Amino acid sequence: MAFGIMDISSSLIEKQAVEEIAKCNEYTSRYGLTLSHRDAVELFETRTFALKSNGRIEFAGGIIDKIIRGFCDSPFLSMHNYCETLHELIEIFYFYKNETLDLLSDDDLLEFMKISFDSTCQGSLELLAGRELANMARNLRCGYHPDYVEFLLNVKDDDSEY
Amino acid sequence: MNIEKRQIIDSNVLSGEYYFASILEEAYTCGLLNDSDMENVQFQCIELLANKSGEYYAGGSSSIRAELAQSIMKSNLYTVGMYLKSLSDPDYAVSEIKKGRISAMYQKGRELVYRKYRNTKLLYELVQKNKINVLNYSYNATLNDDGIGIFFRSYNQDYEAHESPASIDYQLCNPVNDLAGVEFIQKYLENLFLENEFCRSFAARDIHLLLGGYDKGYKDLLINIFQRVLTAALGSCLLNRKTVKLQISQEEIEGLYMVLSEDDLQSLAPRINRAVEKLFADLNITDLSLRTYIEKSLPDIQSNIAHAVNTNTLDKLFASSTDPDISSKIQFYSGIKMDDEKYRELIDELLVCRYSSDKLALIRDKVKAFGDMEDLLLDAELSEEDMFAIFDILADIEIAALIKRHPFNSDIQAEDLSEAEQALHLYLKKYINRLPENRQEEIFQIVNYLID
Repeated sequence: MAFGIMDISSSLIEKQAVEEIAKCNEYTSRYGLTLSHRDAVELFETRTFALKSNGRIEFAGGIIDKIIRGFCDSPFLSMHNYCETLHELIEIFYFYKNETLDLLSDDDLLEFMKISFDSTCQGSLELLAGRELANMARNLRCGYHPDYVEFLLNVKDDDSEY
Repeated sequence: MNIEKRQIIDSNVLSGEYYFASILEEAYTCGLLNDSDMENVQFQCIELLANKSGEYYAGGSSSIRAELAQSIMKSNLYTVGMYLKSLSDPDYAVSEIKKGRISAMYQKGRELVYRKYRNTKLLYELVQKNKINVLNYSYNATLNDDGIGIFFRSYNQDYEAHESPASIDYQLCNPVNDLAGVEFIQKYLENLFLENEFCRSFAARDIHLLLGGYDKGYKDLLINIFQRVLTAALGSCLLNRKTVKLQISQEEIEGLYMVLSEDDLQSLAPRINRAVEKLFADLNITDLSLRTYIEKSLPDIQSNIAHAVNTNTLDKLFASSTDPDISSKIQFYSGIKMDDEKYRELIDELLVCRYSSDKLALIRDKVKAFGDMEDLLLDAELSEEDMFAIFDILADIEIAALIKRHPFNSDIQAEDLSEAEQALHLYLKKYINRLPENRQEEIFQIVNYLID
């Protein structure tokens, strides 16, 4: 009998996680956002896929309910893009857990994502993943503060060109 | 009459490095654990991993990189294995696995890891005290703070207990296999302590001469000192000397060959065993662990002796002592260099000189130290003709010193040199090739005697 850590049956975890996601409807319904059981199962599948493709392991239901509770009050979410946005946010979250070298806790990363999504990105997931999070991750890897901006250096460079 | 309890699991087939996994495998094969037990153990291990991962990020991250989880899992299994190893026998360990909690076993194992770590640190201090005074680089580098010493600064008992972060280049006579983590370091140090203990029966100077006889450049070799010393000591016992000495003369080696060539592999073994008994008696070796260690080292030495007898190369095995310091006895002092300001003035003057004869006259007049001459050959942009004229006024010892400091490198090594250095190498080589053969030989002989 193989004795590995990747072989654990995830059915129990899945059941718990789907229940937790479904429970979030009680909280998010005040913002007019709800998920069906099928949506919850699909979100869990996305989470499993994102974990695998990013080479990560999670022992409990994880981050989905935190994402839901964190983002449900965003002015850029409505029923027509809610579920789709959650799928994207889950993938982005795990990708940037790796890119930030686990230097940020889950809560700090989610807070950064939420603030950027609502403010500078104006609800654009492309800007969130491709600009704000990419800059922040680079800053962390280089030892700067996550909010460090290089615009002063860029302005100087631009001036010298003219 | 001794009555021993019959064991279901054979402890000899268990892995020392992956003890927990191997005991589970054996127990499952022998039917001591069934599928449900195995699933239970597996589930508990995952639970432990989840807790340890949570601790690792202090609860800040719900997920963890797979390779980190793998490493923490290995560390957990290693620590649990450490506890199971401490139990009286594998069968009892299996019963403990069946009825006990893995997390509790981990805690007990963790205490054992800590205790072993502390004991190993004490052992490290003991080994440093009984280390032998020898010039071998790998031996000294392994025993200093940047060798095994790294382990005591970097060992992570909580998350990487199975790793042995240390720089260990020195090879033991009986290498440590099938152990990991702190157990590996402990066993390595135990073996090294015994090797040192034996070598300390002889004077450091004698060991130096013996190793010098094996190879003049022994200080840079990855050799095991104990094995060389033990072989020589056995040679001494085979000669039936009254006292054990490491030095064996060429005549004695020939005598040994005569005696040993009559033996085949079977009759050689008792002869070596008698020599070992004599060695124990002569050196008064009573420590059982040292005696066992020496006996464990014998098969290799015995086959080396048999091979050397067959190929008539006993002189390579029982190398006669040579002092490696004797051949390099010329120390070249280049004298005090001139002031930087004056040197710059000289270079400026040389650069504007048109004729070689003028340059030579300047050099003769102003350069008094070999170091300045060497710098000048690189800085003054001299032509081939100028260089040859300068080489002509140098004595053989100075040419030899130049060769020693600028050896005729291969084309590959020469690529790393500056243009001026490449030119100096080229002209020096050309100049030497033009000299008569006997003078060339004399110069190269001096090169060999020069100390770096």
